[in-house]
Amino acid sequence: MAFISTGYNPEKPMENRITDIGPRDYNEFYPPVIKNNKGKWSHHEILEPGVLVHVADSGDEVYTVRVGGCRLMSTSHINEICEIADKHCDGYVRFTTRNNIEFMVDSKDKVEPLKNDLASRKFDGGSFKFPIGGTGAGVTNIVHTQGWIHCHTPATDASGTVKATMDELFDDFQHMKLPAQLRVSMACCLNMCGAVHCSDIAILGYHRKPPMLDHEYLDKICEIPLAVAACPTAAIKPSKQKLADGTEVKSVAVKQERCMYCGNCYTMCPSMPLADTEGDGIVLMAGGKVSNRISDPKFSKVVVGFIPNEMPRWPSMTKTIRNIVNAYSNGANKYERLGDWAERIGWEKFFEACEIEFTHHLIDDFRQQAYMSWRQSTQFKF
Amino acid sequence: MSELLDNKEAATKAVVDWMAKKSKTKTKFYFKDFYKVFPDDKPRLIKKVINKMVEEEVLEYWSSGSTTMYGLKGAGIQHSSEGEK
Amino acid sequence: MAKHETPLLDQLESGPWPSFVSDLKQQAEVRAKNEKGVEFQIPQDCVDDLLGVLELSYKHGRTHWKHGGIVGVFGYGGGVIGRYCDQPGLFPGVEHFHTMRVNQPAGKYYTTDYLKKLTELWDFRGSGVTNMHGATGDIVLLGTTTPQLEEIFWTLTHDYNQDLGGSGSNLRTPADCLGQSRCEYACYDTQALCHFLTNEYQDELHRPAFPYKFKFKFDACPNCCVASIARSDMSFIGTWRDNIRIDQDAVNKYVENDAAYPANAGAHKDRDWGLFDLEKEVLSLCPTKCMKFDNKKLSIDDANCTRCMHCINVMPRALKIGEDTGLSILCGAKAPILDGAQMGSLLVPFVKANPDNDYEEITEIIENVWDWWMEEGKNRERLGELIMRQGFQKLLEVTGIEAQPQHVAYPRTNPYIFWKEDEVTGGWERDVEEFRKHHLR
Repeated sequence: MAFISTGYNPEKPMENRITDIGPRDYNEFYPPVIKNNKGKWSHHEILEPGVLVHVADSGDEVYTVRVGGCRLMSTSHINEICEIADKHCDGYVRFTTRNNIEFMVDSKDKVEPLKNDLASRKFDGGSFKFPIGGTGAGVTNIVHTQGWIHCHTPATDASGTVKATMDELFDDFQHMKLPAQLRVSMACCLNMCGAVHCSDIAILGYHRKPPMLDHEYLDKICEIPLAVAACPTAAIKPSKQKLADGTEVKSVAVKQERCMYCGNCYTMCPSMPLADTEGDGIVLMAGGKVSNRISDPKFSKVVVGFIPNEMPRWPSMTKTIRNIVNAYSNGANKYERLGDWAERIGWEKFFEACEIEFTHHLIDDFRQQAYMSWRQSTQFKF
Repeated sequence: MSELLDNKEAATKAVVDWMAKKSKTKTKFYFKDFYKVFPDDKPRLIKKVINKMVEEEVLEYWSSGSTTMYGLKGAGIQHSSEGEK
Repeated sequence: MAKHETPLLDQLESGPWPSFVSDLKQQAEVRAKNEKGVEFQIPQDCVDDLLGVLELSYKHGRTHWKHGGIVGVFGYGGGVIGRYCDQPGLFPGVEHFHTMRVNQPAGKYYTTDYLKKLTELWDFRGSGVTNMHGATGDIVLLGTTTPQLEEIFWTLTHDYNQDLGGSGSNLRTPADCLGQSRCEYACYDTQALCHFLTNEYQDELHRPAFPYKFKFKFDACPNCCVASIARSDMSFIGTWRDNIRIDQDAVNKYVENDAAYPANAGAHKDRDWGLFDLEKEVLSLCPTKCMKFDNKKLSIDDANCTRCMHCINVMPRALKIGEDTGLSILCGAKAPILDGAQMGSLLVPFVKANPDNDYEEITEIIENVWDWWMEEGKNRERLGELIMRQGFQKLLEVTGIEAQPQHVAYPRTNPYIFWKEDEVTGGWERDVEEFRKHHLR
């Protein structure tokens, strides 16, 4: 494994350096039918789950086959996507915001061969490589974060919880039989580097124990003022600590009841780890949306305060999600999003319909918005 | 632009001196901390000068992923504790 | 033969949804065989070790990664996230395993030529594991060593005409919906505006000087497919200010349940919801009840329409967005950390997207907002939190925008207005002696 240099000279980093050139120009990447009809589309139709046609004023058509993709994706898999796009789509492909892959062709006769090719490809383990679906009134792909594959503060895994959930909801990915679209999102800690707080259903990793303190090493590995400053709730202060052998060291103390388990201190200071087998798990939220359609965009609400991490398939979590989706599917009107349904029947009925126990943890006590969520009315249902 | 910020050598010295003075307690600073060194200047102008100092290897970045801090190049214990020389 | 046993992860290979475990195993095998004869610049078995460390996390229920803040490419404060494994002895292939964010093209369209060049580079100098794409929008390259960072950056910039994305206290990589490229609802060219602003603000994207992260997102209509209203400090949402265009013949096709005119473009096809009912499914669900259907003629009281998109979504062949299109700008959306979640608040009800003057009206607002936030924002305070702390009126003041009823859902419910002295006739300086002439002590 000999090091191969591009020509970069570490002694003179500015030599021949190119910076600030930004992304590639999107115009280079449009398929011809897209380039020719941009801004001149007349209408579209979802022909079947995962297959759309867009019709331009010119009469041109573009057929899109949408397939689910794992956000975590190998170059082998990307190369296979390229192979398919070369074979069927003249070398063009696009990805969606929700990690789906869209293969586009410019005439109807190209759709069936493309679909058959996509549907026939499976991994050795048996799962589909390119499941067709994710359109209309169904479940589309889950947007998510890194989890245990690559992050330092997750309270659960992302790819694994998503795989387990999508296996459970797969039928609704490949069909359009829900009252409206149902967006599921996943973030592996409360920092939500993938924002999930406005999703129909949000899976959120959550820690429940304040950081441990590695007093012996803390001052050697970390800058204490930075660890102190990292805390958003000012729960950390510098403190002298006595080790077991009697030596006094500089370290920190954590006011535990103020800790919100965000992990910011661990980011700054590896001597303050907070991951914990029993402490960590899942919060489920529900009823959010981002669309302005019919009702305003709204935040998801916490409906389950804690579900333990059950590797590798999180069965309690997927069962609860299944219950929510079923209750929504049975109870909501056509076009009604999950949150609109819950508000129409009342959240007290939501818990009943979804067979979820209401606990005191679900009553807001965090800062000013808490009051807004309490019931200031005599109108409620028994 | 203030005279101090406009004078590259003086500006660099002011930054280095200020950071060195603080280095007993910490070695990483938020961008806003430089406002104290250049109280009469607009943030956008300070940014230009500070980033020049990064390019000249006087300063370096440290990033938490969500926020970025500045330090004197090589200062502090992050390099060794992160296993980077 | 796999390097590490992964009995827990193996259970994620079954089931219909694409298995990331199967994909990683395939990748480990491709690297082990190396049929292409790649001169791997990082350990050949890094994907085996990645599976190994992930299996350990599944066993422990805890992560095995540490953060690193030092690594990056020279002169940039973002685009690279340092990662180190906390079990390097067991998994030496992923001891140093940094992430690079590559700025995706607007709209996320690609040619396979480009993607293949990218995978070639990433097999050669990295793990071959990616995210397509990260939550913000970037192409994420997952796992390489420190000496490779500059080499990858060099190849990207010199040979691929491609730059990195943002991280840290930067402008984050802007992202957009596909907009006019393939959607009839699009009210402005999101790709054009996203690409323009990304290039215009390269310095802000690469060289951190903000109090915290700052995100732009571009939705071409109020359906908000990229969720800009929930997750961007400034969201640009397409809208129009004239009338919805109605094709009465097409409306009647929907009413007659013509098979070529499925409701909601066919989004509900797999369930029998009964015949389409215009009254029930469109008119009565309209949030402002501004529509009427008499004698086979649909009429819309456009002055009372709030452009929620419902009727257009249900009857895309009959109803079209207006022709006087532009966008609304909302400010301050963010996830809950720290003071609770915020949606974007409407700052600019309508502005034209005008590429001919380099979107001058839009960049002026952006720069005014940034100047204020850089001056007044506390460390790690998002724009939304600054607006909460100093008030929406302050935001109007720094952007020079007149208050309008559109800015509020409803007016304030308390009378505690903090009047400015110059707003009160005569000011606040008064002569107490003069007062006492008429009011005894």
